[in-house]
Amino acid sequence: MAEKLSWSELRRALAVRAGVSEKTAGAFLNGLVNQLINGLKSDKQVKINGLGTFKLQTVAPRKSVNVSTGEEIMIEGYNKIVFSPEAGLKELVESRQPSDVSLQPLVFSDQPNEGDFPIDPIKKLGEQADEIVGLLAEIDSIEEPKEEPKEVVEEPKEVETPEEEPKVVVPEEEPKVVIPEVPEIPKEPKVVIPEEEPEIIVQRPKKPEKKKYHFFRDVLISVLILLLLLAGGYFFLRNQLSGILESLLKPEQEQTEQVESPQIENPTPTLAEGEGEEESPSQLDLIPEGDIPQAQILDEFNAISAGEELEEPYSDLITTEPMHEGSRLTWMAKRFYGDKRFWPYLYDANRDRISNPSNIEVGTPIRVPRLTQAQLDTTNRASMEALDKLRIEAEAACKK
Amino acid sequence: MIAEDAGLSKKDTEYLLSTMNAIIRENLMAEKAIQLQGLGVFEIKERQARVVVHPRTGERTEVPSKNQLVFRPVANIKDELKKV
Repeated sequence: MAEKLSWSELRRALAVRAGVSEKTAGAFLNGLVNQLINGLKSDKQVKINGLGTFKLQTVAPRKSVNVSTGEEIMIEGYNKIVFSPEAGLKELVESRQPSDVSLQPLVFSDQPNEGDFPIDPIKKLGEQADEIVGLLAEIDSIEEPKEEPKEVVEEPKEVETPEEEPKVVVPEEEPKVVIPEVPEIPKEPKVVIPEEEPEIIVQRPKKPEKKKYHFFRDVLISVLILLLLLAGGYFFLRNQLSGILESLLKPEQEQTEQVESPQIENPTPTLAEGEGEEESPSQLDLIPEGDIPQAQILDEFNAISAGEELEEPYSDLITTEPMHEGSRLTWMAKRFYGDKRFWPYLYDANRDRISNPSNIEVGTPIRVPRLTQAQLDTTNRASMEALDKLRIEAEAACKK
Repeated sequence: MIAEDAGLSKKDTEYLLSTMNAIIRENLMAEKAIQLQGLGVFEIKERQARVVVHPRTGERTEVPSKNQLVFRPVANIKDELKKV
């Protein structure tokens, strides 16, 4: 603001414009100023029509620090004049933009173009979904108990949250393959395992490379679609399967009850594989305690304490079931006792046949003893300790 | 009140006031500051363009530069009113 309209210039302009003498104009201006000051003093606020409002604003006392000495000083409160122009005047002034820039906000384009970002992930996930559904179909077409496929289906869900994908898939699932607790059938499992999990593993890592803004949104959407497909496929197949399963299990039981010998043939040599990998000891512990064991209803040893029970031979058997390909002691425990954690009992009852619980030969008849309520009670300390002891033994056997 | 002070009629005062406002506006438009003796200066200041960030969306927006009418009181009036 280089130029300034001085007092005298203003007075002259006013006089000329209004057609009064300069003296009158001067008197008016002086009167205006005086009134303004007095008004501010008395009322703290003066409004001049057509111009704006003058206000006295109180600044509260505040603490500060003397910059040179570091000493704390008090800045006293004071008043200051604040002028807020009338709306019309303000607009007028503001409209006089130096460069006439419009008031439209200018949005920075620091976000990547969406066009750059291929929709590949969705496609890939779609393919994956198809594959997984196909695999599920395979799995389900094999006579696996209901519970197992369910676990299989759900595992990937957890794994599939985009950010975790690369990391979770590797550390969680692979160790499980190695973990010796779960009995594995020799050789065969590996054939199919690589088909299921690794595919997921292989494809996933590609996506995180494209770290763009809308990436996770896309992935989330596709994951949802995938989950829906999985759930749909699972329930569909499950319904179909339950009928088959029942019909299959009955003949098995008949056979085994009669013979009870190790030589029972495996009536269902299957391709079930893969699923077992996802079971791990850690999962065992995660199972909620609320499960109601099927065998509970039938228990006949209520009176006997859990500790004693363990020493006894497992005379009362629910059934004897040949080891399926891809099956696990933990799965059987889940099926018969309602909780995977009880698998050591299965080992204990079959020590003569199982050398390594994580690697049981296909077709090995597994005696499924009836457990007492005390043993199945996860809140029963004695039985749980006994179970723990068995588990340690079983794990030790795995390592041999 | 101004009328009393300056010995003018109320009508004249109002007329003068509106005239003065007109003059002030014209001069402000011409980028001239207006000095009122014993009171202060009205002037236009340019507020620089700045970048603001929308707190929720993180969107960055530039607020364009704009002019603002500023009143700078004269030092003695400032002091006088400080103690009120």
